[in-house]
Amino acid sequence: MELDINGAKILFTLPIDLPVLGPLRISETMVVSWIVMLLITGVCIWLTHDLKEENISKRQAVAELLVETANKFVVGNMGEKFRYMIPFVAALFATSVVSNLISLVGLRSPTSDLSTEAAWAVVVFIMITAQKIKTSGFGGYLKGFTQPIPVMTPFNVLSELATPVSMACRHFGNILSGVVINGLIYGALAVASSALLGLIPGLVGDVLSQIPILDVGVPAILSVYFDWFSGIMQAFIFCMLTVMYIANAAEE
Amino acid sequence: MQVQELVGIVPWNFIATICNLFIQVYLIKRFLFKPVNEMLEKRRAKADAEIQDAVKAKEEAQAMKSEYEKNMQEARDKANEIVKTAQKTAAVQSEEMIREASSQVTAMKEKAEKDIAQERRKAVNEIKGEIGGMAVEIAGKVIERELNEEDHTKLINDFIENVGEAS
Repeated sequence: MELDINGAKILFTLPIDLPVLGPLRISETMVVSWIVMLLITGVCIWLTHDLKEENISKRQAVAELLVETANKFVVGNMGEKFRYMIPFVAALFATSVVSNLISLVGLRSPTSDLSTEAAWAVVVFIMITAQKIKTSGFGGYLKGFTQPIPVMTPFNVLSELATPVSMACRHFGNILSGVVINGLIYGALAVASSALLGLIPGLVGDVLSQIPILDVGVPAILSVYFDWFSGIMQAFIFCMLTVMYIANAAEE
Repeated sequence: MQVQELVGIVPWNFIATICNLFIQVYLIKRFLFKPVNEMLEKRRAKADAEIQDAVKAKEEAQAMKSEYEKNMQEARDKANEIVKTAQKTAAVQSEEMIREASSQVTAMKEKAEKDIAQERRKAVNEIKGEIGGMAVEIAGKVIERELNEEDHTKLINDFIENVGEAS
């Protein structure tokens, strides 16, 4: 029995080939991320249609709860002046959570592709840097690297660059590890069930040993941690770090 | 089927993800935050308006109450005044009545006294005449002689005078 754990499948290649970017390949990552976007937007539209001022439905209560939670999260951690960040953080969190959890229905999570997290981390890094420059000016930003002593400059640059890398790799690593471990578990349980049922003599054993009966149910227990807990936790951590880094950058 | 590397950055995916993220930001803003925030704002405005209405209603009630109290006070004052006036009038009237009554009584008394005096005088005059006649008769009978008219009258008058004094 062989077990392959691969990257996202490339569904088809478009005839566009740019020098640096390479050929435009439509991969599972892209398609699933579009599905995720449709899902989130669909849920938003469904939640917010027919809003009322009083005598609200459960659906509307959920919508209000989501908005209030996002407001509280961003304003509580960053302060009133970062109200404009609320939709960004909310979109980041929603996309991350749904991307992580969509593996539950058998699709490949876009977040198990490093490109996705790298893109998010770079966007956040640019926001952090922009906020730093806005707070202390460009000169102040550059001077910040020489603090507390000029000898520290290379380390400061390194730690600055480590921010997006660590954010991206933390999220990616957790999700990919879930994918890998789930793959291993499925494979191992298939082997185990085939060995177990192969003990039955005759034709019945031969037929039954082809059915990976142990794959039913058992991986779901592990999925509670690797998909549900890890998926929600990593999305939360990513957003928390985004919020904290930008809020810190805004401090003098 | 071709696959991507398990760990690696694909430039197109990278770009697509950035675009997707910002499209998602717009979509979530447009379809979740905008309607809900608008609704919350509307609800807040409504609640504010209702509170304002309540405050206004309370103020009105307060004004009405104070006006009512003022009216009540006025009515009470007026009632007191009326009672006081009535009492005064009654007192004056009763006094007048008493005075009138007493003056009437006095007048009646005076009149009665006058009547009595007149009656007495009348009686005295009558008696005077009778006694004069009687005296003349008695005297005539006693002395059996005619007195001279002048002495006669004088004698009678003296007698009457004496009677009057004695009575």
